[in-house]
Amino acid sequence: MTELTIAVAKGRLHAETLDLLTRAGLIFSSEALSSRRLSIQDESGRFRLIFVKPADVPVYVEHGIADCGIVGRDVLLESDADLLQPLSLNIGACRIVVAARKDAPETQLGMLKVATKYPRIAARHFGARGVAVDLIELAGSVELASVLGLADCIVDLVETGRTLQDNGLRIIEVITDSAARLVVNRASYQLKADVVGRFIRCLDAKQRCASDD
Amino acid sequence: MRYYSGSEARLRRAIENTLVSIFDGWSYEEITTPTIDYYSLFERGMGRSQAHHAFRFSDTDGRMLAIRPDVTSLVARAAATLFAERARPLRLCYVAPVFRQQPRSRAEWRRESMQIGCELIGVNSSAADIEVLAIVCEVLERLKLDRYSTITLNDVEVFNGIAEQLKLTPEARAEIRDLIDKRNADDLERFLAEYSHEPDARAFVQLFQLSGKRNILSDARRLITNPRSQAALARLERLWSVVESLQLADRFEIDLGDVSRLDYYTGLTFKIYVNGAGARVASGGRYDGLTASFGKGEPAVGFVFELDTLTEVLAAQASESVVVGSSSAEGAQLTGNNLSDLFVAARRKRQLSERVIITASEVAQ
Repeated sequence: MTELTIAVAKGRLHAETLDLLTRAGLIFSSEALSSRRLSIQDESGRFRLIFVKPADVPVYVEHGIADCGIVGRDVLLESDADLLQPLSLNIGACRIVVAARKDAPETQLGMLKVATKYPRIAARHFGARGVAVDLIELAGSVELASVLGLADCIVDLVETGRTLQDNGLRIIEVITDSAARLVVNRASYQLKADVVGRFIRCLDAKQRCASDD
Repeated sequence: MRYYSGSEARLRRAIENTLVSIFDGWSYEEITTPTIDYYSLFERGMGRSQAHHAFRFSDTDGRMLAIRPDVTSLVARAAATLFAERARPLRLCYVAPVFRQQPRSRAEWRRESMQIGCELIGVNSSAADIEVLAIVCEVLERLKLDRYSTITLNDVEVFNGIAEQLKLTPEARAEIRDLIDKRNADDLERFLAEYSHEPDARAFVQLFQLSGKRNILSDARRLITNPRSQAALARLERLWSVVESLQLADRFEIDLGDVSRLDYYTGLTFKIYVNGAGARVASGGRYDGLTASFGKGEPAVGFVFELDTLTEVLAAQASESVVVGSSSAEGAQLTGNNLSDLFVAARRKRQLSERVIITASEVAQ
């Protein structure tokens, strides 16, 4: 009997998330992990993982299809979902930054053009300081927009800064830090209080002792 | 945009009838409220942040109107004006759709949702709070959901007391409330760093980890020292004693982190979660300040059930027979080519309240 369904973001966080869950005591057969199934059960049968796109994690959890989810804070800032966020995780640490070409002028005349995958974060950031911007929403390879002149600057996620470096961009400012978060459905938090509570404490304990090593 | 038909529509109607008959049993009178009213009324009632979800438009004089996003504001206005002279307490109930604009991904996303609720106006007593909780429990029992549901209890004054002690600005208050509501311990701790000299700042961080039965109230009393919060905790404790004596303690949880988003609550708040629904099926609480914004301040407590969510849960449990009984009983099949004979027979059966199905094979005239 499945006690808890956990939505896991595919992509950047996928491997680290599985690693954390394994340390927290969930056991997955290598056969299940190497398959292309989008939903797998752990060996005890108590946990089910579903693999979805990062932006869809909040949606599955808010609707209660998944009880919990593990997803980057960047995705949550961009989403409107009404979720509980009881735990910050030590995985997927990165920064959301404003970056521009190294040779870009310091001051800008006229409307600033900003290319990003994060229109809400960008709008909030520039809006808060009263800078009018023209947002260009892109699906990926955002660095190119600045390199090729589609935009004056970009708002994007940076892990090591390597991609920026290689493309001749520099960080102008850091908007906020981001790391993975555990999110929980409101109803599950109440109705499965025992299981959810144990899961939260377990994840918390594992990541605490991992950071002590 | 949602249609209900067949067994689902019958189920929905049966749930509605069940609730209305329970409300009648507790002496609540039905009230029908306007669908369209001035936007300013809802802004006054619900607060700006909630009211702006309303669908708005203007009349020919340029006054802003809204399709009702909330029934409680309308009932409160009626209590303060239309029923100002009536004897108290007022016990009112309603069945009415509300209309809200929501972002698409919301689990509670529906432009239109049918609300069934009660308001008990004019009494500020534990008896009134317990009365509405007793009604809510009866609803869950009659729908056979009592074993699959949890009712969370809180008192907004616990939060208000701490907020007052920290002298928070309205913005900081809203931000902190949101962080507690989301159980976001990490960001909350970061946010509270500048208040760390205040003893109750620590209480904030622990506040939302306090959820459980009676024992958490004593924990809370140790952590939270300001008198306003203490009074609220004492109220919760008294309420809990009655809940225990009614042998309903296993249905309830005290959850100090469930800080409601609606601005009008002033005391007890509660929410109901049911297995099979990702969102809550009902919520309610005490709103002693609301009728004052319509000219006659008086205490009030109420709750609202979401009929669409209830229908979804019960339909999924296929418990229609439990609630509805045999609503699809076969009727007398009436056939015949003589239309007058046919309908004389049909009308006779209907006078005896018998069910009929006309199956005349219509010949083109």
